[in-house]
Amino acid sequence: MIFRPNPSLGVPIYLQLMEQVKHAIETGALRGGDQLPGIRPLAEELVINPNTVAKAYRELEHEGVIELRHGAGAFVANNARAKKVTDKLRTAQPVVATAVEKLRGQGLTDEEIRRLFEAELRGKGDHRE
Amino acid sequence: MLWYKAWLDTRWPFLIGLAILVVLACGNVFEYPTTARLLPLADTLPHGTGIVGRAIDEAIQTQRDYRGFIWWQWVRQNFTQTWTLFAVLLGSGGLLVSGSKGALFTAALPASRKQLLGIRAGACMIELLVLAVVPSLLIWLLSPAVGESYSLTTALVHASCMFLAGVVFYSFAVLMSTTFHDMWRPALVTCLVAIGIGVVETVVRQMGGYGVFAVMRAETYFRSGALPWGGLLVTIAISASLFYAALLNFVQLDL
Amino acid sequence: MSDPVVIETADLSKAYDASTEALRGLTLQVPSGSIYGFLGKNGAGKTTTIKTLLGMVKPTGGIARVFGLDATNPQASVAIRQRAAFVSEDKDLIDSMTVDEIARFTASFFPTWRADLAQQYRQTFDLRPAQSVKQLSRGARTKLALLLALCRGAELLILDEPTSGLDPAAAEEVLQVLVRHVATEPLTIFFASHQLSEVDQIADHVGIIDRGRMAVAGALDDLRAQFRRIQVVFDGAAPTPAFRTAAVKRVRREGRVLTILTSADADAVVAEARALNPVAIDVAPVTLKDIFLESVNAEA
Repeated sequence: MIFRPNPSLGVPIYLQLMEQVKHAIETGALRGGDQLPGIRPLAEELVINPNTVAKAYRELEHEGVIELRHGAGAFVANNARAKKVTDKLRTAQPVVATAVEKLRGQGLTDEEIRRLFEAELRGKGDHRE
Repeated sequence: MLWYKAWLDTRWPFLIGLAILVVLACGNVFEYPTTARLLPLADTLPHGTGIVGRAIDEAIQTQRDYRGFIWWQWVRQNFTQTWTLFAVLLGSGGLLVSGSKGALFTAALPASRKQLLGIRAGACMIELLVLAVVPSLLIWLLSPAVGESYSLTTALVHASCMFLAGVVFYSFAVLMSTTFHDMWRPALVTCLVAIGIGVVETVVRQMGGYGVFAVMRAETYFRSGALPWGGLLVTIAISASLFYAALLNFVQLDL
Repeated sequence: MSDPVVIETADLSKAYDASTEALRGLTLQVPSGSIYGFLGKNGAGKTTTIKTLLGMVKPTGGIARVFGLDATNPQASVAIRQRAAFVSEDKDLIDSMTVDEIARFTASFFPTWRADLAQQYRQTFDLRPAQSVKQLSRGARTKLALLLALCRGAELLILDEPTSGLDPAAAEEVLQVLVRHVATEPLTIFFASHQLSEVDQIADHVGIIDRGRMAVAGALDDLRAQFRRIQVVFDGAAPTPAFRTAAVKRVRREGRVLTILTSADADAVVAEARALNPVAIDVAPVTLKDIFLESVNAEA
């Protein structure tokens, strides 16, 4: 299965799931119209709280990434809005890749890089010395 | 199914007690012929003086006939002592022994503390009644086998008095078990109290019809056919109070 | 009928005697339909809390309610136990019965008993009807206890250390059964644990009890989103400022580094930190383990 959230990280599981779904869509593992696993079976398989899966799916639907069809299940959205989101992400991806490569080249570890990004996002764009 | 559980929890003391009482009853009946032959010999011994001498005299005199023999050997000793012991054992232990297997599981069921204690007590009372009635009936049934007869009425009177008065020791043991949360201290304390009462009654002969043990062995009935109504009422009232106190304790208990 | 809150306590206290205070004013709320992980060190008061909710222990102060009913009232307590199921830490069962007998015994108390589920779980858990409860292995006992709890149609499941003594495979099986059950039935699960990994995995709410009081409580996702560790590095010796942000839990100073643990408002703390002219500021998420360790080791 493509989804494998890590409960021990400091990141909420539902966010991890959302990221993994989006990543799957980007890489083409999931295409428009594909059905996602049901909330119950997925929760059982990953042995996580069904509310967590439900929350992830709700947020993804809110962002237009997936559609929840009543009685039928969750499906990857086919429409432009979803495509726009994934397009946005697809163009952003190389920017991040370049930055990460550069920082790695400067000898930073992945953990350090991650923390820099977190702090940057927290700092709301202020510069620090 | 709480009754079934109460049975499971108490069946071994009950069955062992029943077996012992049955064996003792049979033993007493079948040793009568031997005793009957030996007793006349006692007449040839010098009469004793002093407390011990008088006690021996009394024993010999009472056991001259079959009914007296049964009362002296069986009712007064084997029956009273064994039945009391098992009343104490059945009263100690149970849910109240915290840490006992099943205590938390049972406490988590939708049954009130009153129900839990009440049903267990009900089961024990039935068992104690059986422990009183069965060996008594056995005496009645087996007496012809040694050429004697024992009145059914007498057997049932003794069974009833044993049970109705003796239940006071059961209630006391239950009260102790709500105070001490293990199996052995309630039994020990109750036994000591029982022995104490027994000693007092023996020493203070004036207690006569009202001593607990005197009522249990229906002494006045044996001697003069008078049922110990007063004694029974008093002991039943005491049992009820002890049991009520145990209930109040149990409802408040932290498990 | 659904209360938004299934379990609630307010200032709950329990002193076993003059020197043993198990609970000192515990306040908690368990939302309906949640899986609530009740964390704490051994002896922090988890089991006492559970026993109070089930009417096994009488509190010395405060309020405890389950399904809106007063847990300290004997009749209400019976009504609570009609709708709530409990599995004790030692998986206490009636040893003198067989698997079948204890199932029938338990079923006799619950008109809502699910015989179909019982049959299903008996097969899944490989429990044979004629087996004596006394002879079951620890894992099998846990599964039987779970079966008896799950099949009675309860709205609330209270578990004390559900996976203690189990190997990882059996533990995962237990969690899976719980997750499956909560997905299909309207059920709230309240479980005491000191296995952080299982709380991380299945709980959506968490309460950390320390020395008889609630140290941290809330939705797990909120805690994960709000708690932050902020590391501030200075050129010279680090100062010892007092942070005005109320959510700051702990500030540690080691040489040139200040480490701040805050339960919320990380932005405000970062702003305050910037004012001290540091060389670098790092903001990192905090794991449940970190939150737990900070909460139970904090000075009173």
